[in-house]
Amino acid sequence: MEVTIKIFRYNPEKDQRGHYETYTVEASENDRVLDVLELVKGHKDGTLSFRRSCAHGVCGSDAMRINGRNMLACKTLIRDVGANITVEPIMGLKVAKDLIVDMNPFFDNYKKMLPYLINDNPLPADGKERLQSPEQRARFDESTKCILCAACTTSCPSFWASDEYYGPAALVTAHRFIFDSRDEGAEQRLHVLSETNGTARCHTAYNCTEACPRDIQITKAIGELKMAMVTGKID
Amino acid sequence: MSDRNVSLSSALKYKGQGPYLTFILHRIGGSMIAIFVTLHILGTFFEMIGWQIGDLITDIYISPPFQIVFMFGMLFHIINGMRITILDLFPTKLIPYHRQAIVIEWIIFILVYGFAVVTTITTTIARMS
Repeated sequence: MEVTIKIFRYNPEKDQRGHYETYTVEASENDRVLDVLELVKGHKDGTLSFRRSCAHGVCGSDAMRINGRNMLACKTLIRDVGANITVEPIMGLKVAKDLIVDMNPFFDNYKKMLPYLINDNPLPADGKERLQSPEQRARFDESTKCILCAACTTSCPSFWASDEYYGPAALVTAHRFIFDSRDEGAEQRLHVLSETNGTARCHTAYNCTEACPRDIQITKAIGELKMAMVTGKID
Repeated sequence: MSDRNVSLSSALKYKGQGPYLTFILHRIGGSMIAIFVTLHILGTFFEMIGWQIGDLITDIYISPPFQIVFMFGMLFHIINGMRITILDLFPTKLIPYHRQAIVIEWIIFILVYGFAVVTTITTTIARMS
C-alpha cells in the first residue's frame, strides 16, 4: 500500500522555524511507523533525523507525536493509524533537529526523584539479599515498567504550562522507590514531591495514562503519592 | 514564573481522548462561572448606584440563551469536579476505572443538563404567552 507521511522538519543550522515535508512510500499495513521513517531516511531523504535504538518498545527512544498523539514509532502499526500519517516531535522539550528533542530537562527532573535505592541499614545477617514478599514486590510492580520515553511527560498539560513541573515520568519513578519495602528514602522523596512543582501540579487530565506505551496507570500512581503525602502512610 | 513550554493553540490540538476533553471542558466551565459571577456582582453594583448599565448587564445574564450556555459550563464543572474528587479519594481502587467513570459522568450530565434546558425553555415560553 502507498503510505503518505508528513514529517516535521527543522534544521537549526538552516531553518528559522520548523516546517513539514511530505513523502510517499510503499509499505505494508503490518509495518510500523518506524519502518516508514527508515524507508524515508534510506530512500528519500537521508537528512531526516530521529532517535531509534532497540526498535522493539523497550528502549523508549522513538517517542513522537503520531497523528497528534504521543506514541512509540516502533510499536505503532500502519494499519492502526491509516495510510496518511503526520509525525511530529513530542511537545514541551526543545527540538534539536527534526524529530529529536533535547531530553536534558526531562532527565534533570528524573534525577530530582533520587532514582536509586536508599537504605543505610546493615545488610541481613547472611550478607546477601534484602528479602521482600511477592505482595511487597507487587505493590510497585507497575511503576518498574517505565522506559523513560517521555511520552507521558510531554503529553501532560501541566508540563506544557511550566517546564518546572517534574512531570509524570519523574513521579512514577518516585512511586517506584517510595513503595519499595526495601527503600528507606520515602521521606526525602515525599519532601521533594510536596514542593510547588511536585504532585500538586497534576490535574488528572489522564493524557499520561493514555499515552504510556507500557500501559502504566500513571495517574493512579500519582494519586497514590498524593494520598501518601496527605495521610503520611505508605501502604 | 517561566513561559509556557507549549502554546495554548498547540496544546488544544493534542489528540488526547475522552479524559482530555473533560479536562478542557472543566476549565471552560470554570471560566464561565467566573464570568457569570463577575457580571452578577457588576450588575448588582451598578443598579445600586443607579447606573443604567446595571440593568443591561442583568438583562444579559438572565436571558435564556446566556443561561443555557452558562448552565452547560456550570453543570459540567460541578459534575466533573465530583468525579475527580471521588477518584482522587480512592486512587488505588477507582482510578483504574476512570474511563467508566467518565461515561457515567456524561450520562448524569446529559440527564441533568437536558432537564435544565427543557425547564428553561418551557419557563421562557410560559412567560412570553
